[in-house]
Amino acid sequence: MSALWSVWRLLWRARQATMALGALLVVAVLLAGAGLLSLSGWFITATGAAGLAGAGAVFNLFGPSAGIRALALGRTFGRYGERLLTHDATLGALTALRVDLLRRQARAGLDAMLRLRGAVALNRLTADVDALDGVALRLALPLLGAIVTHGVVFAALWAWVGLPVALWIIGTFVGGGVLVLIVTARAARAPSIAAERATQSLRQAVIDLIRGRVELIAYGRMGRQTACVSAADITARRALRQQDRTDRAAALALSFIATLAVAGAMVIGSALIANHRTNPALAALGVFAALALAETLHTLRRGMADLGRMRDAAGRVMERAETTLAQPSPHIAQGGPGLTVTALSYRRVGAFRAIFTDRSLTVAPGETVAVAAPSGAGKSTLLFVIAGLLTPTTGDILIDGTAISAMTEPDLRARLTLLPQRTALVAGSIRENLALSRDDLDDTEAWAALQAAALDGVIRAKGGLDAPLGEAGAGLSGGEARRLALARALLRRPRVLLLDEPTEGLDPVTAARALHGIRAYLPDAAILTTSHRSAELGWADRVILLT
Amino acid sequence: MKGIALPDSSSPARDKIRLAALERPAQRALRRAGLLAILAGALWPLQAATIAFLVSHWVNGTVAPAIALIAAAIFTLIGGLRALLDHRAGAIAFNAADLILGHERARLITRESLRAGTSGGPASAALAAMIAQKLPMLSPYLTRYRPAAVRVVALPALLIVITACISWAAALILIMTGPLIPVFMALVGIAAKEASARQLSEIGDMNTLLMDRLGALLDIRLLDAGERTARDFTARAEGLQTRTLAVLRIAFLSSSVLELFAALGVAMMAVYVGFSLLGSLHFGTWNGPLTLAQGIFLLLLAPDYFQPLRDLAAAWHDRAAAMAVAGELAVLEATPVAQVLGQGIASAPLTGAPIIETSGITVTRAGRPLHLPDLYVGAGERLAITGPSGAGKSTLLAVLAGLEPVSAGEVRVSGTPLTAENADAWRARLAWAAQSPHFLDATLAQNLDLRETGTDLAPALAAAQTEGVVATLPGGLQAKLGETGGGISGGEARRLMLARAYAGAPEVLLADEPTADLDAETAQAVTDGLMAMAARGITLIVATHDPRLIATLGRELRLGAGI
Repeated sequence: MSALWSVWRLLWRARQATMALGALLVVAVLLAGAGLLSLSGWFITATGAAGLAGAGAVFNLFGPSAGIRALALGRTFGRYGERLLTHDATLGALTALRVDLLRRQARAGLDAMLRLRGAVALNRLTADVDALDGVALRLALPLLGAIVTHGVVFAALWAWVGLPVALWIIGTFVGGGVLVLIVTARAARAPSIAAERATQSLRQAVIDLIRGRVELIAYGRMGRQTACVSAADITARRALRQQDRTDRAAALALSFIATLAVAGAMVIGSALIANHRTNPALAALGVFAALALAETLHTLRRGMADLGRMRDAAGRVMERAETTLAQPSPHIAQGGPGLTVTALSYRRVGAFRAIFTDRSLTVAPGETVAVAAPSGAGKSTLLFVIAGLLTPTTGDILIDGTAISAMTEPDLRARLTLLPQRTALVAGSIRENLALSRDDLDDTEAWAALQAAALDGVIRAKGGLDAPLGEAGAGLSGGEARRLALARALLRRPRVLLLDEPTEGLDPVTAARALHGIRAYLPDAAILTTSHRSAELGWADRVILLT
Repeated sequence: MKGIALPDSSSPARDKIRLAALERPAQRALRRAGLLAILAGALWPLQAATIAFLVSHWVNGTVAPAIALIAAAIFTLIGGLRALLDHRAGAIAFNAADLILGHERARLITRESLRAGTSGGPASAALAAMIAQKLPMLSPYLTRYRPAAVRVVALPALLIVITACISWAAALILIMTGPLIPVFMALVGIAAKEASARQLSEIGDMNTLLMDRLGALLDIRLLDAGERTARDFTARAEGLQTRTLAVLRIAFLSSSVLELFAALGVAMMAVYVGFSLLGSLHFGTWNGPLTLAQGIFLLLLAPDYFQPLRDLAAAWHDRAAAMAVAGELAVLEATPVAQVLGQGIASAPLTGAPIIETSGITVTRAGRPLHLPDLYVGAGERLAITGPSGAGKSTLLAVLAGLEPVSAGEVRVSGTPLTAENADAWRARLAWAAQSPHFLDATLAQNLDLRETGTDLAPALAAAQTEGVVATLPGGLQAKLGETGGGISGGEARRLMLARAYAGAPEVLLADEPTADLDAETAQAVTDGLMAMAARGITLIVATHDPRLIATLGRELRLGAGI
């Protein structure tokens, strides 16, 4: 529940004033609805009584009829305002929620980040965020509206009609309603979570079926995979069925409760009139009020049916992303300027064998060192460890004599940059992609970095820095995207630059130009590159062979 | 990530036709649900009559407690019946929606699971989104919009007739607002269209933006761009929000106009009834002045006259969403899909020596015939299929495995023609190594033993030189690599695919570009793995353009470019 509470606090704080005003209007609209029907019922009954008594001429028509008009119009306009304000507040709040998520995810560990490159994990995360848009609109605001409306109507009925009617109507709605809503929330909890899980496993099974289609058929396993998909489909539909059943049972129960409230108001009203404790018009007001209150509960019903799903999602969205904290080294290692790596080893948690052990190397400022090793020797992993994205099993990494485990994240990122083998661009212009590297990027700097990455000609041909890129950088070829990522890394002007196969997919001429550009752009940086290509090996001052 | 692609061109007529076809299996159920909903709605006048009866008796001053109790009991009974009818109608509509959902999912899976060829078809993420997320969006349309559409036809008319029996003037008030209904509908339609367009595009945009940034998180962290990204995201999201609100303002305004007109209708009714009861109005009834009971009855009917319309308006975006889904389905199904031979299920192996012969094969690719040269591969032979890209190397491999139907010519395996009947049995003797391997969401051990023979995987891992790779994975063979490959490189994945092929103890291995995009050492490791299989007498047929691999294999069949 605490996660859901923090989501609500986040939603509330994002647009406090708008949300508060919206909440006020939610209450006003519900009250106007109850008032309108009650007043009309009273009005008709009173006019009927006056007409019978021959007192039609002296009956004050204008007060009540003006009230009816005011409530009708007020309700319509109030509803308009309410919808606009609460949607405005919710949209703002959802932005805040997404930004908050993005901030926390940006500190996540490497594995979590790599997982989020897959459609399944990404989809699960965004589906969770989407599930939370009902927290304000379907849960908190209707709850508030229902509580206040019932309180006010209780007071009004007590004052005008009599305590027994007030107690019966509000008692039935609140007592019955609370019971139904709690039972609904309980009963819907498991199926609403199950429905989401089944949807995700259905998605996974379909992705497996399509991506693995040829192999599944070739190995005679397609029958099993389609059975797996239909099993997931059946589970998902069964959960939906349970949800639907709970929802309809709740609707049925709430209808019964509303009917009982009205019927009770009829009987109690009759008794009060017989005892001369109220008049027919006010007793009619009670009946009509009971008719009107039914609408306060139905919006809430939806929210309660989704409560389990929202709690589930809130738990994942709010608690995701624990930071990888580097372990302080037990002994103080020594290192000069540049990059010093001593006795480094890395083993994945739960793996039988380390990916590499006892790696030591130094790269002086202004020096370029290439690491050559057979495939699978863990070159990329080595760079991830040096970049502080994976915690080494043993060993030390120092930059200019300071252990990276003793640095803060911004401090480390200011000194070191890694160009990984797989880079991602973002949707937006070339400029926006480059601006990820630093604030207040000016054109001269941008072009200088693009030139160093041998990409200036390409970008100029595409229309300059404001040329748009599609989702995940669509619009550039693989080699161009790679060089844009390189330019982005160069703009950080790091003391230590780690490059993982920087010229992969480039023709020899462009590769040579880019490599030359890197050194020219960062004359004093310690550069460590991996490669199996002669271009990098020839470019490097020194080649370390790892076996 | 391209999962949210909308059809290029939306065509309302096509969408409508597809939606109608989709509903067909459940049409009778939907009609029954609508009928029950009408019945439930028709009970309200009875309940209204009990209230009117009791309240008028209150005013007349003669209410025995028994009468109040009986009136309340009748009201409760009818109310209970009404709620039960609605409940039942909901159940029938849900069953119909459930049936359609299951039906459409099964159709799509049947269509895509045995699609011929090694590539093509919708992207996996797009199809997964359609099956898991979008098809269920049909449900609100079937359970909410359809019953509302039935009610809107019958109930207002019924209420006009009942009202007219008491007072023609009151009926006139309702009828006068009647011609406004089409206007309402148009307003609602415009409002809903924009609102749902907003839902699809704006929420989609916000999520696309979020997914885009989440997909680039590693880069964002390396560039220390967390704060910058958050700021940029906020700015963009606020821009989106401003535009969304501009649309919402109009959308909500339109539906508010509908509510306003409904409120005016009820208010006119209240005024007419009030003035009649006071004796200021003397027209509109058939005989004698309007009684209090009639007045209250008329007032209670008026809101329900507008209610079906408001329900329909509230469910309108469900229809728009369903139309969008139907449209996407129509696009998905626009092109006929050729199916593989056989069912892709486990089968007893075909008997006879694994000899492969083809003669005069033509396949249809993108509507054009592609002729493939004849070949003969004896048991244990090694063959490289080469040629420029587009020449049909992968297609020929697919033909040999019965994954691609031929439009002319014949494939003979073990001396018998390859047909739909024996394709599964033939494939039980094959292994396939794809160019871009996919790991199923299961453990590595399960991925390597696709035929589920429970065989010892150690020899296969050794033959493909992958013991080292497995040892560095968390949990070894129990590791789940998942969609993004769990941190192993492309070359390692390719070698694991060879281990999978080896583990199946095949007689023939078909491999598609096994060394493409690999560095020299890794390509050599893959080649060694292939030759280890050849050494065991396995026939190798490899589509490749790697000269070293071609030389190692020895025999080459070169396909021409785009014959």
